[in-house]
Amino acid sequence: MTAPAARLAVRNVTVRFAGLTALDDVSFTVEPGTVHALIGPNGAGKSTCFNVLSGVYRAASGSVEYGGRELTGMAPHAITGLGIARTFQNIVLTAGTVAENLMLGRHRLTRAGFAATALGLPSAVREQRRHRARAAEIADFLGLGPYFDRPVGPLPYGVRKRVEIARALCTEPGLLLLDEPVAGMNPTERLAMADTVAAIREALGISILLVEHDMGMVMRLADAVTVLDFGRRIADGTPEAVQQDPAVVRAYLGQEEPA
Amino acid sequence: MSDLLSKRRAAAAAGVLVLLALPFYADGFWLQSGLFAMAAVLGAIGLGLLTGTAGQLSLGHSFFLAVGAYGYVWLSGGSGGSGSGRLGGLGLPPVLAFVLAVALAGGAGGLFSPIAGRLRGMYLGVATIALVFLGQHVMVNSRSVTGGFNGRAVEPMALFGFSFSDSSPRGLAVLGVPFGGVERLWYFGLALVAIGLYTARNLHRGRQGRALAALRDSGTAAAVMGVPVARYRCAAFVVSCLYAGAAGALTALVFKRVVPDHFGLALSIDYLAMIVIGGLGSVGGAAAAAVLVSLLPQVLTVYADRLPLIAPAGTDGFGATPGEAARYLYGAAIVLILTLAPGGLAGLVRRGRPPAAPTAAPAAPIPVPVSRTATHPSHGKEPTP
Amino acid sequence: MTRLAETLLDGIALGSVYALVALGFVVVFKASGVMNFAHGSVLLLGGWTVTATHSALGFPLAVLVGAAVAGAASGLLHLLSARGVRGEGAHVATILTIGVDLVLVTALARGIGADYLGTGDPWGSEVVRLGGVHVAEARLAGIAVSVTLIGLFFAAFRWSRWGLAMRAASSDEEAAALMGVRLGRVRLIAWCTAGALAAVAAVFLAAFPSPGLDRSTGQLALAAFPAAILGGMDSAVGALAGSLAIGLAGALAAGYQDSLGALGEGLPGIAPYLVMILVLLVRPAGLFGSKESTRV
Repeated sequence: MTAPAARLAVRNVTVRFAGLTALDDVSFTVEPGTVHALIGPNGAGKSTCFNVLSGVYRAASGSVEYGGRELTGMAPHAITGLGIARTFQNIVLTAGTVAENLMLGRHRLTRAGFAATALGLPSAVREQRRHRARAAEIADFLGLGPYFDRPVGPLPYGVRKRVEIARALCTEPGLLLLDEPVAGMNPTERLAMADTVAAIREALGISILLVEHDMGMVMRLADAVTVLDFGRRIADGTPEAVQQDPAVVRAYLGQEEPA
Repeated sequence: MSDLLSKRRAAAAAGVLVLLALPFYADGFWLQSGLFAMAAVLGAIGLGLLTGTAGQLSLGHSFFLAVGAYGYVWLSGGSGGSGSGRLGGLGLPPVLAFVLAVALAGGAGGLFSPIAGRLRGMYLGVATIALVFLGQHVMVNSRSVTGGFNGRAVEPMALFGFSFSDSSPRGLAVLGVPFGGVERLWYFGLALVAIGLYTARNLHRGRQGRALAALRDSGTAAAVMGVPVARYRCAAFVVSCLYAGAAGALTALVFKRVVPDHFGLALSIDYLAMIVIGGLGSVGGAAAAAVLVSLLPQVLTVYADRLPLIAPAGTDGFGATPGEAARYLYGAAIVLILTLAPGGLAGLVRRGRPPAAPTAAPAAPIPVPVSRTATHPSHGKEPTP
Repeated sequence: MTRLAETLLDGIALGSVYALVALGFVVVFKASGVMNFAHGSVLLLGGWTVTATHSALGFPLAVLVGAAVAGAASGLLHLLSARGVRGEGAHVATILTIGVDLVLVTALARGIGADYLGTGDPWGSEVVRLGGVHVAEARLAGIAVSVTLIGLFFAAFRWSRWGLAMRAASSDEEAAALMGVRLGRVRLIAWCTAGALAAVAAVFLAAFPSPGLDRSTGQLALAAFPAAILGGMDSAVGALAGSLAIGLAGALAAGYQDSLGALGEGLPGIAPYLVMILVLLVRPAGLFGSKESTRV
């Protein structure tokens, strides 16, 4: 059911807001099945980039191609239909149980219309049951099994972050956009999340594009890194190469690398 | 847990039996009040879907009720009269007219929804107020359809020749109890409410309910999960208007006469009060609150002399009339509930219930997400360090 | 020609009174993000206070008392809706004001009864002739007072510390709070000001040619909602433009009712809403409103 991971090609994308150029002629490529990190100081344009990729923002110019399809100008729900899923920096979960949130992720894969659902037709009921089973599988995979029928609200932050990722996985994407998955976590939680991300890549074979500040995570996980600063790409390559790049060091001058 | 469930099932079953038996014991006044409450339940379910779930503030509900009511009246009514009293109508069979009236209300909702889609939050609230006023204006002025300010009479419901009125058959008695129009309509109303509650519950628990809840919390997040936002906002309006149409048509049947004055802003506010008191986002809560809000004035009227601060309607004595007292209570209820118990009735019920038994209380700080051995059958590789 | 001039003058007069109400509405929205549905009943409260005190205190003092009472009521409403409602914020607070409005309007309707109450205003039913055009003194007074108050308001907004705090808070709350702006106090002042302005508006709505203050005067205030909306809920200038538009539309609908008969009886009552819907169709955020942007 998982969409095959395809290549994501971002080419010369520029985004402007009322005079401010948030992204300036940015290009990079995410190879299928790899973990690609997007790093850079605050305000470099990383979240803007994500928003362009998920269709929330329009690019002023440039193109984004995924699996041969041009993304720019597509509505967000259509982009999800292509197999791209994302998480948000500020967790946006709906009130309800973990199961209900995960089932939201199954929306694009289910077909039951208003009438079928309202009337409780057997086809709708069966479909719901099938997809719930799959959601439970994904929940187990991310260690959310015990929380499946619990309300999301009172759960600890780290768990809610994982629910958000699980929900994105429920859309069976080929490309997963993770927006700062370890923000606000302590070292133990970070390690656990790093293992999770690696496991997702290994088990599901999907591409992961990751915005991250934690250099340790980046070095450990990423196959390739793209560095942004002030909306421009200043470096691109393997983690080791990028780490040595003088332009990158300059951009980060004064920024501590977490252990 | 299963003990609690069976207790609730027993209570529900008992409640249904009481409702089925009521026409044998209650008098016409209470039956009619009850029917009005049923219409309120249908309307409240619809508004709850729109406001509580999809999060769109609408004060225009009474307009769509009017569409259902006048739709039924015009579709089922015969034409007649002359001059300025001339009335038009299609004279369709009542059941068909009812169904079409509901569809008409849904269609009206569909027409309004692009406007609704372009407006955000508060602007939508005021635009819906405009809809109510403009609607009343049109109703008062389209005399041939609506009978103008004084309204027009309503064709009673009929099914295969059995009329839900005092005639055909005339003088019907069941188990010795005379079954006139209001007794017969009671069961029609119950059937409608049952359908309404069933469909609403299914929607709420199904993919549509989840999509609409996501829309309420964040349009962007919903879109990114694959929900076509504009289409679902429109659908929310249409579905809520279908319920409103049914409520309106039932109201017409119960009152046997429709006047434009009934479908004003006050009615919309009553409905808003219902879903706030019931708890935004809860079908059962909205239904319970609808019953309370619509029956309260009737209860106060009947017991006016026995209640301290209530003066009978029309007098100038000390105390509030039942209508005023009811309004004080709704207003106060809205304020108190939003301040102290935002979850409304539904929230209070949830709090009262014992917490769900934890399946496996996580004692360890955070369970390791993935065991180092294979979890996914087809990909058994060890994650690379 | 005279008819047109009189109609336009009527429209401007009406619009200027609506502006007092619409401005209050917008100020509250800018300060708290709440649509104050109880504004109409606060207006009625202020007006009723004037009718109740004018014989004892004289008209000018009665107006001050009325403004103070309405301002205080509005302030109390702010405290209730701000402190009481946690988390959910503006959406829920708005519904809360609907609840308060329900209680207040019911109580006031009872208190006022079926009477028309006089406010004891000095211009009574005097009509003045301005170059061939007849216009009620009350209407002229309305324009004069409204323009003065609106001018003062904009001056305060532009030059006073409160105005600066309001502007800072409405563009970035967190930054404003960090800079020492006491948001609670700024909002309270906004709500109280709105109430006071509404009371003054009530006095003019009850003036000639209206027979007096009655329980439906609050409903008239409802017409200011579309004025604020079509101007853009977060724009004070928009409120003025909207009020003028609404006032003119209402006056034209009333003045030329015979020619517009085909659109039905009661057109002046719904003219504000018609205009609003038409504007919103073209500009969903109102004439001067800013589009909502959300941070994701």
